[in-house]
Amino acid sequence: MRRPPTRTRIVGLAVAVLTTVAAAPHHALRLEAAAAGVLRGRVDIKRAQVVVEPRPSVSSVGTTGPQRATESRPAVVYLESAPRGAFEREETRAVMNQQDQTFVPHVLAITAGTTVEFPNSDPYFHNVFSLSRTQPFDLGRYAAGRSRSVRFDHPGVVQVFCDIHSHMSAYILVFAHRYFAVTDAQGRYRIGNVPPGTYTLVAWHEGSVRDTRQVRVADTGEPVETDFTVR
Amino acid sequence: MTIGQSGSAVLFWLGLASLAACAEPALAQDWLTTPATLVGGRIVLAGDASVTFGSGDEGFFNYTNYESSTLRRIRAGLAARVVAGSRLSLLAELRAETGSHVEPYAWYARVQPWPDRSFVVQAGRIPPVFGAYGRRAYPQDNPLIGDPLAYQYLTSIRYDAVPASADELLRMRGRGWLASYSVGNPTPAPGLPVVSALRWNTGIQARVGWRAVEASAAWTMGSLSHPLVKPEHGTGQVSGRMAITPVVGLAIGVSVARGPYLSKDVLDAGPSAGTGPSLRQQSLGTDLEFSRGRWLVRGEAIVNSWSVPALSAPRIEAPLAMTAAFIEGRYRLRPGFYLAGRLDRLAFEQISGSAGPVPWEAGVSRVELASGYSLTRHLIVKACYQYNQRDGGRIRRSHLAAAQWLFWF
Repeated sequence: MRRPPTRTRIVGLAVAVLTTVAAAPHHALRLEAAAAGVLRGRVDIKRAQVVVEPRPSVSSVGTTGPQRATESRPAVVYLESAPRGAFEREETRAVMNQQDQTFVPHVLAITAGTTVEFPNSDPYFHNVFSLSRTQPFDLGRYAAGRSRSVRFDHPGVVQVFCDIHSHMSAYILVFAHRYFAVTDAQGRYRIGNVPPGTYTLVAWHEGSVRDTRQVRVADTGEPVETDFTVR
Repeated sequence: MTIGQSGSAVLFWLGLASLAACAEPALAQDWLTTPATLVGGRIVLAGDASVTFGSGDEGFFNYTNYESSTLRRIRAGLAARVVAGSRLSLLAELRAETGSHVEPYAWYARVQPWPDRSFVVQAGRIPPVFGAYGRRAYPQDNPLIGDPLAYQYLTSIRYDAVPASADELLRMRGRGWLASYSVGNPTPAPGLPVVSALRWNTGIQARVGWRAVEASAAWTMGSLSHPLVKPEHGTGQVSGRMAITPVVGLAIGVSVARGPYLSKDVLDAGPSAGTGPSLRQQSLGTDLEFSRGRWLVRGEAIVNSWSVPALSAPRIEAPLAMTAAFIEGRYRLRPGFYLAGRLDRLAFEQISGSAGPVPWEAGVSRVELASGYSLTRHLIVKACYQYNQRDGGRIRRSHLAAAQWLFWF
């Protein structure tokens, strides 16, 4: 296992990889003839469940709303570079809800061109915003039952916050291709329809690339099992 | 000892850094994103540090009862909540700023007898229930740099000295920075703001909420303008606030407070013209907050009076009344960048001196315009311009500017 570099370098690397993936012709593969394969496995996240407490505010005369939220913090596994022909844009929609002062899901992986809805399901205001270079936005304050949306056109990592509730945070990973998967509750992932070839498989968790592996999808399309451990 | 000169300040900063470094490993990986915790989430930490540098304030418009200007100060705070169960938590904040010791700004126990109901009791050095600004977390929740006049401007009222006559009081118009009177402590010293935003009272409070209505009440040892940590009077201040949220994004509150503000020494020194229990600060306030989209608008109005003993002619027959009001707004132009402004006014009622009726203190107006930019989510820079105008005193107008660097976690 490769030792992870510093966080800053890793985040920079991740962004660079995600944004340059479309220009990786040397990974051109035989899309037409061979059977597509499956990459699957498990990411063992040592602390997948995180208890998030609101920041202490001595100014409050008592509080309302949820005090403690347990967030599931999955990993994202993706191909560092994807096959040629895999970059067609899709007009899709995704949802990141705001419920009990928590973004649900905590991690959202989408392809570039996707519009993400941010409905407010709490009985008070939220103010979703991001200062990420990939896609800065500020949706302002809006009430329960309302929703606002953002279209993400550029690949990269977008960290999302609420301006009112400082303990709320989430990640949106925007990919230029479709070869990625968010781990499920057991940490398992599955990336299907991968053309034969050799790839770098990346495991990302909470703002950092945690591990990378070289994998080969055979012409026969047999599933490739790769496990990661994230601490 | 003051910050910048004292070993305690250095220890405070070292302590803050150490606590941040000791935060739970899983959260420490991204401790700026999620609140830092210790002991499996039972201790939650938050902190801030700010450096403000601005024009010299020769008119003392921005000086606080810490004897320093809000436009020239270094400030750091570290807050912690210890979760002792579903019903009990302990909260405290250590704060250090220019002109003060490192001191416990707040420390209290919060009891929620029925965790699923909106009923909370807090006891210790507690936040004020009166108004709204006093409960704002200063660095992040103040889009400007200066404080509202009602919460900062030093009037000529003192807690440890009183004027013997109306003429003596009128001689101190516009000199709240360094007022002196013949009864009580004769040493010139800063006067009192209407509400002290920098010091909190010790006492007990309860809050109950039901749907769109919430009510809170408190008994504390000192008054709004002169909070106390230790008991000094036989009685204390009673205060309360009722607020309604008719629609999400609009909150309207009404507050009252009544309590002693004069020290026991001055009450003992005062001749028979005044009695302790009748010499009180009384306040009635209303506050409003409206937000929608990129807008946030807040305002408060306070009608306040201080009773002083009527000693010598020309006597101060009635309580010294005044009105304070401010309205402020913030508009977020683009992600991380906002503009803000505040209009502020203190107006004082007239009393009769030898020369006729005159407002007992010089009225003050302020316009402050500011902008803020988030370099990162946790690092904000602000800049402000401030125009102050006073109806009396040596310096009656001032144009001030300041910049602030603010870090919070």
